Amino acid sequence: MHELIEKLIARLPLDFRVLYRQFLLRVIDLEALSIQGDVPAFIGQFAGVLIMLSLIHATVTYLGYTFITEPAERFAFLWHMQHYLIATMMLVVGMFAVLSWDATFPDKRDVMVLSPLPVAARTILIAKVSANAAVLGLAILTLNVASGVVMPLIMGAQPGPALGPFQSLPAWCFSIVAAGLFLYGSVLTVQGFTALLLPRRMFLRLSAVLQLAAFGLFLCVYFVQPSITTAAAMAAPENQWVLACSPSYWFWGMFNQLNGSLPPQFAWIALRAWMGLALAIAGAASSLLLCYLHTMKRTVEEPDLVPGGGLRWMPSFGSTLQTAVAHFSIRSLARSRQHRVAFAFYLAFVLGIALSLLRAEVAAAAPRPLSMDFLIPTFLMMFFAVVGLRNVFSLPVSLTANWVLRTAQIRPSQDYVAATRRSLQLLAVVPAWLISAALAFGFRSVSQVAAHLAVLALFGTILVELCLVGFYKVPFTCSYLPGKTNIQFAFWGFVVVLIVVLVPCAEFEMRALNQADRYGFMFSLLVGLAAGLFAYNDHQAKSAVIYFEEAPDELITTLGLSA
Amino acid sequence: MLEVEHLYRSYRGIPAIEDVSFQVAPGEVVGFLGPNGAGKSTTVKIITGMLRPNEGRVLFEGNDIEKDMVAFRAKFGYVPEEAHLYTYLSGLEYLQLVGRLRGLGEALIEAKATRLLKLLNLESWQYSPISTYSKGMRQRVLIAASLLHDPKLLIFDEPLSGLDVVSGRLFKDLLELLAAQGKAVLYISHVLEVVEQVCNRVIVIAKGRVLADARPADLTKLMSLPNLESVFSQLVQQQDTRRLAEQMVEVMQIGHS
Repeated sequence: MHELIEKLIARLPLDFRVLYRQFLLRVIDLEALSIQGDVPAFIGQFAGVLIMLSLIHATVTYLGYTFITEPAERFAFLWHMQHYLIATMMLVVGMFAVLSWDATFPDKRDVMVLSPLPVAARTILIAKVSANAAVLGLAILTLNVASGVVMPLIMGAQPGPALGPFQSLPAWCFSIVAAGLFLYGSVLTVQGFTALLLPRRMFLRLSAVLQLAAFGLFLCVYFVQPSITTAAAMAAPENQWVLACSPSYWFWGMFNQLNGSLPPQFAWIALRAWMGLALAIAGAASSLLLCYLHTMKRTVEEPDLVPGGGLRWMPSFGSTLQTAVAHFSIRSLARSRQHRVAFAFYLAFVLGIALSLLRAEVAAAAPRPLSMDFLIPTFLMMFFAVVGLRNVFSLPVSLTANWVLRTAQIRPSQDYVAATRRSLQLLAVVPAWLISAALAFGFRSVSQVAAHLAVLALFGTILVELCLVGFYKVPFTCSYLPGKTNIQFAFWGFVVVLIVVLVPCAEFEMRALNQADRYGFMFSLLVGLAAGLFAYNDHQAKSAVIYFEEAPDELITTLGLSA
Repeated sequence: MLEVEHLYRSYRGIPAIEDVSFQVAPGEVVGFLGPNGAGKSTTVKIITGMLRPNEGRVLFEGNDIEKDMVAFRAKFGYVPEEAHLYTYLSGLEYLQLVGRLRGLGEALIEAKATRLLKLLNLESWQYSPISTYSKGMRQRVLIAASLLHDPKLLIFDEPLSGLDVVSGRLFKDLLELLAAQGKAVLYISHVLEVVEQVCNRVIVIAKGRVLADARPADLTKLMSLPNLESVFSQLVQQQDTRRLAEQMVEVMQIGHS
């Protein structure tokens, strides 16, 4: 089999194979997540997570199907799981589309490097599309490796499909792939036509905004859209707009139509899926073709240098060094695609939690008493914001440019640690706290909410101090190699510890919010902890050396060109 | 002002520089010459504090820089050989970053940065990201950044790289004026014609050792050679370039003749 594949691959044109391999490693900004790390190992980890998710989905589906005996409830459960699996799959594809933003279209690097070479534009196009399809296919396959078998098998045993599982399985596979193609094709269509219609410089600026907007949209839709699980609920007038606007319901309709289990009155939902799929494929194909015909030429023709504009003012954030580091951090996050994407990964957790809270808040008719349902999510948001930013700070933005920081280091190390502290507070603690405060409007009493927000601010401060232990670096400047270190283990280890510790701590706080003396004790303890950690970090920083290189000086930098 | 004393530095036991010593006085422009791999970059890295020597020391105004590196860093400006910059920042933002790192006040940074950018003909592009700049424009940003804090010592490593003729002339005039202001300038370059014009003294280094330290005119006179380029070739015993070029053409034609 292996030899057959090798022979088939060998029959492909050499330039296509070379480009395909090159583009495959560039589909996702792996450098953003694993700089100089082991890329195949990283892809393996990524696939492993999706397979694990698929196994969990399959287990839940099977257990639910087995233990729910009442037919109507069981059917509602299966409809819910079908929609949930399709929506989750679309979210994964959406995240993939965000991570691989611009990967399908020719960029300036491709144009400048490949244009002088005897490589046809169509070869570049086909190689890029093939590379994207390969990674997208891997994501869809791994996410459905177990659940994509269990769900059709169960549905095959239900009334509806004439051929049983032999109808359900292909119906499920087709619907899943169609949903993925629809979403990815839609993203390509929007990107492609924006690139075609706008001047290139304006497109490049808008592209970054579109990337984040798509990211927010996918998360919002996933977390906020209501779950509609019965025929009666589907027929309800108030749910019609959801069914009409939500693509995950369209493809749920497509599956049930192909499976023969869709009530006829909902055929219009499936029709939307077919129409959407056709439009997305046609849009993506035409925009890709037009881009490769026109954009490559436009890229070469565009002037190398055009006077810039935009927002030029930024506030001061303390001392000149603190301002320098804060501005540098903000600009690195905003303008470096790798860092933006890496931070977006952590922000996804924050946004997801916030949207879940918002959804519950919108559904509530009146302000609710403060409960664990609010305390725990706000702590989690703070955690993901601070620890996520700390992890992103470890990814260097341009090691070769660090000489300027080294030669301009005219202040003691503790000033640099203080500047990093300020950046963490400014970019993680303050936004997470403000989001929590905004979401707290739906809770009462006001005094309890205020007391919790004070605790949350202290929690954020403690997290910042914990993140600064041993972190004697300027953000984005140290050659910390996450692909070769334990940063991911450390992060997920932190998550596990937090989950274990958070529930009893939140319970304690909940009780303390009702007892002034207990609250006073807890608050004093947290203040003491924050002050102690601050003093420790400040003391350690006095004798610390700000470092920019993990590797010893004697090592010769390699180009990494060997196989 | 700057005294380099018996520097020795090795990488994995292989010496990069051995017993390198020289001085740069205030108001003096000293050329630091040598072929690729001679040890120039290692010496400059040690002087700028980015690398520590295995032996020897660097004195600035009579003080060992190792003892108070922070104070020393505040007094020198540096233009590196490669124009490595944070390319997503604009020219103005880069100067603001450097100014703030060097502890200058906001008003001072604004006044100096905008004026320097204007004088270096970068005013129209000051808000554009450096990634869109040409090599010469990046070099001008680096020169502006090195002057921002009025340093006493300036280290220019191939500063003319990528500069057009006008900018090159401007830079040569700038060097003269800086020297007249009493600044000490260490000037590393391969453009020997310029070195001959602007430097009071040249230091020639090869294989990690200082081979010559004298005024350009004295060197040419001493070795009875017409110009500094001939002196340099003689000192560092460069390979037969004509023969090398012939061999390269032979390699190019393999399989195509």
